[in-house]
Amino acid sequence: MNYNRPIPNPQLPMGTNNLKLASVLLIVTLAFLTPSIQEALSGEVANYVNDSESAHHGLPTEWEEKQVICVFFPSDYTHNEFYLGVTMIDSDGSVLGVNEELGDLAGACVGGIDGYDEGMAFMMDSTRIAGGRLAVGYELGEWGPFVHTIGGLNADEVRGEFSGAYWSLSHNDVESMVGIGDLVMSEGDVLSWSIMTW
Amino acid sequence: MYDFHSIGLTPIQTLFLNVSALSLIGLALLRSERELNDQNLWAMLGLLAVFGISGRILLEPLPNIQPVTAIVLLAGIYYGGPRAFALAGTIALASNLLALGHGPWTLFQILGWGSVAITGALLSNQLLIDGKLCIGRVAVVAAVSGFIFNWIVSTSILIETDSSMLVPYLLNGLVFDLYHAAGNIAFVAWMATPLGDMMLRHRVAPANVAVGEFASN
Repeated sequence: MNYNRPIPNPQLPMGTNNLKLASVLLIVTLAFLTPSIQEALSGEVANYVNDSESAHHGLPTEWEEKQVICVFFPSDYTHNEFYLGVTMIDSDGSVLGVNEELGDLAGACVGGIDGYDEGMAFMMDSTRIAGGRLAVGYELGEWGPFVHTIGGLNADEVRGEFSGAYWSLSHNDVESMVGIGDLVMSEGDVLSWSIMTW
Repeated sequence: MYDFHSIGLTPIQTLFLNVSALSLIGLALLRSERELNDQNLWAMLGLLAVFGISGRILLEPLPNIQPVTAIVLLAGIYYGGPRAFALAGTIALASNLLALGHGPWTLFQILGWGSVAITGALLSNQLLIDGKLCIGRVAVVAAVSGFIFNWIVSTSILIETDSSMLVPYLLNGLVFDLYHAAGNIAFVAWMATPLGDMMLRHRVAPANVAVGEFASN
């Protein structure tokens, strides 16, 4: 095989300019279509999310078939009120009780809600029921809302023998494939937030 | 005193600065290559590595649009699998260590880009005919390579989750796959011809081929 070929004629082959133009148009088109493609995909991904039934384990029985959001705080950064067990807050703001038999989990769940299909709207409305005690702080990034603070705990403040920490979202007990801004909910779904490290 | 380090930039401003920085690096590398003697393979691989690392870090604000896949594919075509694989691994590891974060995913990225490199080497005879790059074919392979790379890297979730999560994970990443494929086509359209000409100048016969030719004489 001859590896010492002469330098080819620098004249561009026919069609290269068309490909340059087409490639730029392709990226621009994709940028315009991204929201609708992502929305369609999020709907498809929601079909793969676990059945919500098992996610209701430990929650009040009257919340079955209802939508629930839970926030769990790490043991070194407990909430000043929800530091013992998991406080169950009903949709009218009343406290149904505290479940202290959920292992080491400490935090609060707000449930008994229905009718939401957008994760972000559900999160904002349901946490407001807790009256500011589960207030959410987020930034609007390029790829949608990024939640950094819940219930006064900013994930950036969590320190330890790890590189960093973040609020992680689970959808029916499985780590969510999409951010809260793209999450499509069904009736009876349980969302839960907890601190994860990397 | 004005603290210039705390200046706030919008994503578009950041991207503009990064693209400007990458353009300057690219021009400097082009100039450097002209000063190399022909068949200086390792220096050329070094320049490609610098461009790949810089491009991946500086284009990070763009979703999955970066030149590495196109570079390792071309390296596979011109320099064969092992060298292109080494280049792929160097770019992945260095850019992760320098800026993007090193973790278990680095291994999967090396395997992903390594696979693209080997694909380029295996298809070399179909993509490079008489020293001339078939841009259309290269663009198709580059687009497919975007999907293959992303899917290989996506399998890293199996470390933490079971296989039932893989399909929704891949489905959710489809937009990023499309960006990667479209970006690869763009890099091939705009870069492959000048980069290919440069790479051809530094192509040398692999040692085993040279020995074989010598022995046959």
